[in-house]
Amino acid sequence: MDVLIQLLINGIMLGSMYAIISVGLTLIFGVIRVVNFAHGELLMIGMYAVYLLCTKLGLHPYVAAFPVIVLLFLVGVLIQRFIIQPLLDADEHIQIFATVGLSTALVNLALMVFGADLYSVTSPDIRVTVKLGTYNVLVGQLVMLGAAVALVVGLHAFMQNTALGRAIRATAQNRNAALLMGVRVNQIYIITFGLGAACVGLASALVSPLFPATPTVGTYFVLTAFVVVVLGGMRSMYGAFWGAMIIGLVDSLSAYYIAPDLKEVVYFAIFILILIFKPTGLFGFGRGTE
Amino acid sequence: MKLVMRAAYAAGILATGLALSTGAVNAQTKIGALYPFSGGLALLGDESFRGLELATEERNAAGGVKGQPLQIVKGDAVDPNQAVGEARRLTSVDKVTVVFGTYSSSLSLAATQVTELAGVPYFELGAISDPITERGFKNLFRSNPTARDFAASMVDSIGEAIAPALGVDAKSLKVAIIHEDSLYGQTVAGYQTKRAQEKGVNVVETLPYSAKSVDLTPVILRLKSANVDVVLQTSYQNDTVLFFRQAKEQGFKPKAVMGAGGGYSLRETMEAVGAANMEGALNVDFTQYKTNVAAAPGITEFVAKYKAKYGIEPRSGHSLANYVGAKIFFDAMASAKDFSAPSIRESVLKVDLPVGATASGWGAKFNEAGQNTRVSPFVMQWQGGELVTVFPAKAAVTKMKTGLGSN
Repeated sequence: MDVLIQLLINGIMLGSMYAIISVGLTLIFGVIRVVNFAHGELLMIGMYAVYLLCTKLGLHPYVAAFPVIVLLFLVGVLIQRFIIQPLLDADEHIQIFATVGLSTALVNLALMVFGADLYSVTSPDIRVTVKLGTYNVLVGQLVMLGAAVALVVGLHAFMQNTALGRAIRATAQNRNAALLMGVRVNQIYIITFGLGAACVGLASALVSPLFPATPTVGTYFVLTAFVVVVLGGMRSMYGAFWGAMIIGLVDSLSAYYIAPDLKEVVYFAIFILILIFKPTGLFGFGRGTE
Repeated sequence: MKLVMRAAYAAGILATGLALSTGAVNAQTKIGALYPFSGGLALLGDESFRGLELATEERNAAGGVKGQPLQIVKGDAVDPNQAVGEARRLTSVDKVTVVFGTYSSSLSLAATQVTELAGVPYFELGAISDPITERGFKNLFRSNPTARDFAASMVDSIGEAIAPALGVDAKSLKVAIIHEDSLYGQTVAGYQTKRAQEKGVNVVETLPYSAKSVDLTPVILRLKSANVDVVLQTSYQNDTVLFFRQAKEQGFKPKAVMGAGGGYSLRETMEAVGAANMEGALNVDFTQYKTNVAAAPGITEFVAKYKAKYGIEPRSGHSLANYVGAKIFFDAMASAKDFSAPSIRESVLKVDLPVGATASGWGAKFNEAGQNTRVSPFVMQWQGGELVTVFPAKAAVTKMKTGLGSN
């Protein structure tokens, strides 16, 4: 029983890490439908930026979040403006290959600049174990859970209640109709991509203290992030959140009760089953909206 | 015009003649050096090459081999394809007498196919995959220990080092084998399991996991529930860091943790984990520099030579392993009748150095397959942020500690 509860806590914490990384992808992939394979590399850039700010300027990782969010917003804007936008009318596959190419280029750039070694932010106050009865959880993980909930609630409200949010949703639903209604579609794309990347900026500041930065760190998370977004029904922030929680819990429980090397098999099996019985994801808007 | 042509001919003939005559005076023996000099493996590939370079310079200063100075011809093997291409170039265009290499096992497996067919002896100084010398090749020799030696060393040290240090019976220790699930981890863990059965070691858990895991907490909870005393881990860098951090966070305190080189040997791993948390972690690997001179005569001189040439401390034990291997094979070449492949094989099989005769503490005696049988990796331990040799007793610079973490 003790172990089970510890595993559940661990799963929720893992889920909140997946959630915070996937929220940005929900905007980029779920809402504006750009299949961004370089999403993981945005996380990698963010983690190196946090590392540099912490070690060179002595900032606390959570303080470093602010400049990194701005930096990643700008990176996102540049990627959308100069790589995706020229390809917006091209075949979808071309966009996919452009982002795969970008991903490979960024990984190798990081290898050139930082080498293959891992870099770790030293943050003793974040890696402190909090005892909940006999169960262990890290301060950093609790912060991540709080931040994930706040981000999801905040983004949901933003998408529903602001003019910009409505414009983003309108663009997502029908680009041409939105254009006819006077929405500046290209700008909306740029802003949405920038916001998605900025969310990754926040994620990288929260993940850095728990996980060391390497050039390939993005590949550890990107596949899971895609699964989470699809599971959540593509465009729902709450969907992504619950999708991440399911993956986190399945990951944690199956690694213990089945085998650590089979956990991916288990959660992909569940993923496939859900897609068979509910093709639009757990929180999808029904058939035909995809 | 005619005059110009004639002058050119004359110059050409003269030049050829000069070249021939200098060739006759300074007959050089060309040796191939096949390592990854660029790409992702370049750092340790270059570190390995430095060992060969130092051994070659030392040899040349002492008059070369059979009175001929050695000339290194480099081949850059970034991946198995290029390893094959460069091995072809070295053997057919540059016509090297022998080839040294390779650091990485996949590169060695590919390149040795070429040299074996070409009938050129290949001296492997650093790749640890066992199948390299299990293919019945006649012109392939390896000076370094293999994955099986690593696994045996780890399992044996439970009974020979860890149990005595804890003052308990080895049979009472519950052992877990955990490993990343790519070829490296699978291979070493496979040999460990076999060795553990032979030695009657009580293995209670064998847990493979992906090196790309972002969470090893479930693995640690399994070890904790099984009350594991000794953990044998075969891992890369990321998963090593994750294991140590999460073990501490979950309050998992085994009596001993031992790695199979890989992530355990790297200073960056210790820095990411923190010296205090890595304190007491054991590791099996090629000989490192904090080793007792009594067991590794010449290790201090090697470090001095290295620093004089490159201006820094050696970056890993790879240079030492390559240096020692190269010296063994240079001696074998020197005592061979001639540089033909059969003569070199005959001479290599006659090499007979007792354990503890070289700067890495290894001996040399080659079996029919070309594998050095007098090598075994030492057991090291992270103490105060340094990786120091603790076992066997003769090679140890300090006493082995028990437990994990200094707090």
